[in-house]
Amino acid sequence: MNWKVGFIVCAVAACVVPFVSPNYMLTVIIEALIFGLFAMSLDLLVGYTRLYSFGHVAAYGLGAYTSALLLLHFNLPLPVTIVLAVAISTAIATPIAWVCTRTHGVSFAMLTLAFAQLGYAMIYRFKDFTGGSDGLTGIPRPEGPFGLDFFQSKIGYFYMVLFCLLGSFLLCRALVNSPFGTVLSGIRENEAKTAALGYNTRAYKRVIVILAYAFGSLAGALYAPFAGFASPELFFWLISGTVLIMVIVGGSGTLIGPIIGGVFFLMLENQLSEVTDLWPLIFGSVFIAFVMLAPQGIWGILTARFKKPAVLPQGGADGETTSAPS
Amino acid sequence: MTQKSKLILPGMTRRQVVKAGLAATAVAAAPGYMRTAGAATPIKIGIPTVITGGYAVLGSHVMRTAKLVKKMKDASGGVLGRPVEFLFKDTQGKPADCVRKCQELVERDDCRIFTGVVVSSEARAIMPKLDEWNSFFISHGNGDGRLTAELLVPNFFRANTSAPMGARTLALFLKNAEQNDFYAIGSDYAWGHSSVGAFETQIQNVGKNFAGKVFAPVGNKDYSTYITKIMQSGAQGCYVALQGDEGRAFYSQAQQYGLASRVTMVTEIVAQANIRALGKDSVGLTGSSRYPFTYETPENAAFVKRFTEEYPGELPDWSDGEMMQALDILFAAMEKADSTDAKKIVAAMEDLEVTSVKGATLMRKCDHQGENQGFVVRVSESSDYSEPIPQILNIYKREDVTPTCNSTEYAN
Amino acid sequence: MDFVGFLLTQCLNAFSQAAVLFFIACGLTLIFGIMRIINFAHGSLFMLGAYVGYSTVAATGSFWLALIVAPIVVGAVGIAFEKVFLSRLYARGDGGAYLMVTFGLAVIMGEMIRVIWGPHPHGVATPDILRGVVFLLDQPFPKYRLFLIALGVIAAISVWQFLERTRAGLLIRAVSQNAEMVQALGTDVQLVRTCVFGFGCAMAALGGVLAAPMVTAFLGMSASVIIDAFVIVIIGGMGSFLGSIIGSVLVAYVQVFGAYYFPNMALAIMYLLMLVILVVRPGGLLGKEE
Repeated sequence: MNWKVGFIVCAVAACVVPFVSPNYMLTVIIEALIFGLFAMSLDLLVGYTRLYSFGHVAAYGLGAYTSALLLLHFNLPLPVTIVLAVAISTAIATPIAWVCTRTHGVSFAMLTLAFAQLGYAMIYRFKDFTGGSDGLTGIPRPEGPFGLDFFQSKIGYFYMVLFCLLGSFLLCRALVNSPFGTVLSGIRENEAKTAALGYNTRAYKRVIVILAYAFGSLAGALYAPFAGFASPELFFWLISGTVLIMVIVGGSGTLIGPIIGGVFFLMLENQLSEVTDLWPLIFGSVFIAFVMLAPQGIWGILTARFKKPAVLPQGGADGETTSAPS
Repeated sequence: MTQKSKLILPGMTRRQVVKAGLAATAVAAAPGYMRTAGAATPIKIGIPTVITGGYAVLGSHVMRTAKLVKKMKDASGGVLGRPVEFLFKDTQGKPADCVRKCQELVERDDCRIFTGVVVSSEARAIMPKLDEWNSFFISHGNGDGRLTAELLVPNFFRANTSAPMGARTLALFLKNAEQNDFYAIGSDYAWGHSSVGAFETQIQNVGKNFAGKVFAPVGNKDYSTYITKIMQSGAQGCYVALQGDEGRAFYSQAQQYGLASRVTMVTEIVAQANIRALGKDSVGLTGSSRYPFTYETPENAAFVKRFTEEYPGELPDWSDGEMMQALDILFAAMEKADSTDAKKIVAAMEDLEVTSVKGATLMRKCDHQGENQGFVVRVSESSDYSEPIPQILNIYKREDVTPTCNSTEYAN
Repeated sequence: MDFVGFLLTQCLNAFSQAAVLFFIACGLTLIFGIMRIINFAHGSLFMLGAYVGYSTVAATGSFWLALIVAPIVVGAVGIAFEKVFLSRLYARGDGGAYLMVTFGLAVIMGEMIRVIWGPHPHGVATPDILRGVVFLLDQPFPKYRLFLIALGVIAAISVWQFLERTRAGLLIRAVSQNAEMVQALGTDVQLVRTCVFGFGCAMAALGGVLAAPMVTAFLGMSASVIIDAFVIVIIGGMGSFLGSIIGSVLVAYVQVFGAYYFPNMALAIMYLLMLVILVVRPGGLLGKEE
């Protein structure tokens, strides 16, 4: 099936959502889309480069706090602020990426965690600036250049988030399908071999980590003005864990899968907690069930219907391993 | 919990009708509609509280008291002749979830009255939104002094004793104490800073020496180094602004170090949940209490009796009492306003005086802070109960305990 | 308080803190060494240990019995979980799957504990014999913490000697070096894995019971502890048992002295330490880079 057709169908379907969903659902849908974007940014690392980041929340928190601070102090138009927030976050992420990519595997995961936790600690340390445990509240959504103000309404904000999500998806997709992306897959499958072919694998990894932070910070930068606040919880390490779960639930190495995973995760949590107080029991069981019964993730389940005998590993995280058959 | 999901359908239809009404007159439409819908339409009160997660114990108090209040109100003819309905939502103590759940309460259930918010950062996150939601929020337990000072928003009231009020009460109590030097330890978040800051000023106001302070990071569990620091300071007294898990960890470890034999510890919040968990180790602990269930008035005796009948083996904690008072005040304001509209409740609550489980409390107009009496208690063993209880040592007048308007400071 | 006395107290503070951390971290690192699993549920098992310990004390009045019952119960839970879920995933060799399954387990256990024991905290009293203080250089120090230090040292030496000196220990080390080879030589690797996982869970439970008189048993005690344990395991070197001992002591020292001299930076200090160590030695102090 031509992916472009699929993309357009999905995009159009998504555009219709505000008209068919009840208004109250839109809040959680917007947050879910933001988390979908956030999970997709992590997939660049997990799915395409096999770099398990355990501190990706740093990107989210950075984006949220920079956009919040910019809006509170400078009151620039919202779209300008978001672009600036992403730029600043990316700049901050550059040295982080430089240090983290010195390692790989678990050490990489823990270095990213260390930076995220340092960020969390800094929020408390510089409370005059960040608001400490109070966080920052009353974040405005100033109208944009050329009198644009559609994002001041909830439906308008939905379209802005959707636009950012779809745009990011197209960019990321182009990236992973480019020669650059091919080298990344090479690193994923066998870094030593790729390096032996003459590629400076560390430079590639550095770039992809920076990009992952950039897209992740976009998610954060979209969240803070939407919720109207930023608090240290947006830097809490547990979010790094949950976003990793979102990627895996959705199906890593597919970009679209983690988006679905993020949306699924947030909607499930929100809706389950409406139905029963015992929701964590069901929530936890769902994840165990996924691993046991559907290791390829949601996207894997969806696509398995369409292409039956096609390629099996399909860019999965373990294409190379030839361990004993189960 | 099935009734929760059932709510969705009637809520939706009502919302659509209200939406139409809103187009005409934004403010008056909702209550106007409700009245025509008949006397049986329940009054919805949103409780975005902590049901699962680390703060669940505070949320459980909120819920059990709210459920008890519903029973009592329904039996006595309701509020404005209508039954009361509490909508409990799980925020897990996260501001992001709290904002989202409140937004859903407003948009789906047309529920515009909130209380029972546990964590102060959650309260801070929803307060700026109240106006946009045309909603009303009354705090039953948020301690940060600034909520009724520089952070005040028009649709917010605080029924409970705030952190500066607790600190002030203690300072008044310690005025004639034999100890002269005081050290303070607090949790490194809004409430801890508010509490320690207020104590620092107040204790100096009564002529004592403030020897120093330290803040432990949120979630800290080993207090050995802080206990060493307190002992080193040479202070004879130590003010403790740690609550919940942190408070219990501190007291357990302080007990092991024999800190109490060298330094007199006083605290801003005495909580029954902690007393129970600490058992005998809690005996002797002195502090201010936002609500001691041992307060002897007819109103409180009736509440405690009803509470212990409903929940055998449990004793009302400070958060139960504060929740009870907040709801009493809320209902009194609704009756006075003859409405459930946010703006009208605000107007009715200003300068409203209600006698509830904590005595007569005045919701003053200038900064929406409830003027509460100040209680100082000592945890003691009692032959009437199987666990230690807070014994009231002194009660301070509400005028002396409540800060000057719109501030966390006191005139004298 | 003179400086020497202060220093002694602070060092003992750190060692007692290290003892509790060690019980959690050593299980985590052994499990990682042998299965390449990051057990996200380890903090929840620690919490379960504290709650089971509370119930044992409440029922029998004996803290010592709790030290035996809780590891057995939690070890059994761990073994059951390994048998039912984890053992089916080894062939897949997919780190993400472990993460998700153990994350799911952590969520479920946290909720189960709330349902069974309620949201209220439960105290475990310090056993009478360990109440009170001893004076060291005129400084009071709790007997209970001395007991923790002693127990930590005994446990560390025993496990270390077990790994070094016994056939079973040799087997465990062999599996962590090369599982396929051991399997090929005719040993039941699966059994080794099950035992190590159960043992790691039991150690976490022991840590939970030991922590209970200092912090009480409460919901949320898992979250604060798991992250410390991760950091220790990483600093020491994933899979290295000696590393987990060194890591525990190092983290405890840095926290105790850091919080004393730089209270503003208390949250950050541990992570700064990890950052420095990982930049200098990416595999951790005693580990080799994966």
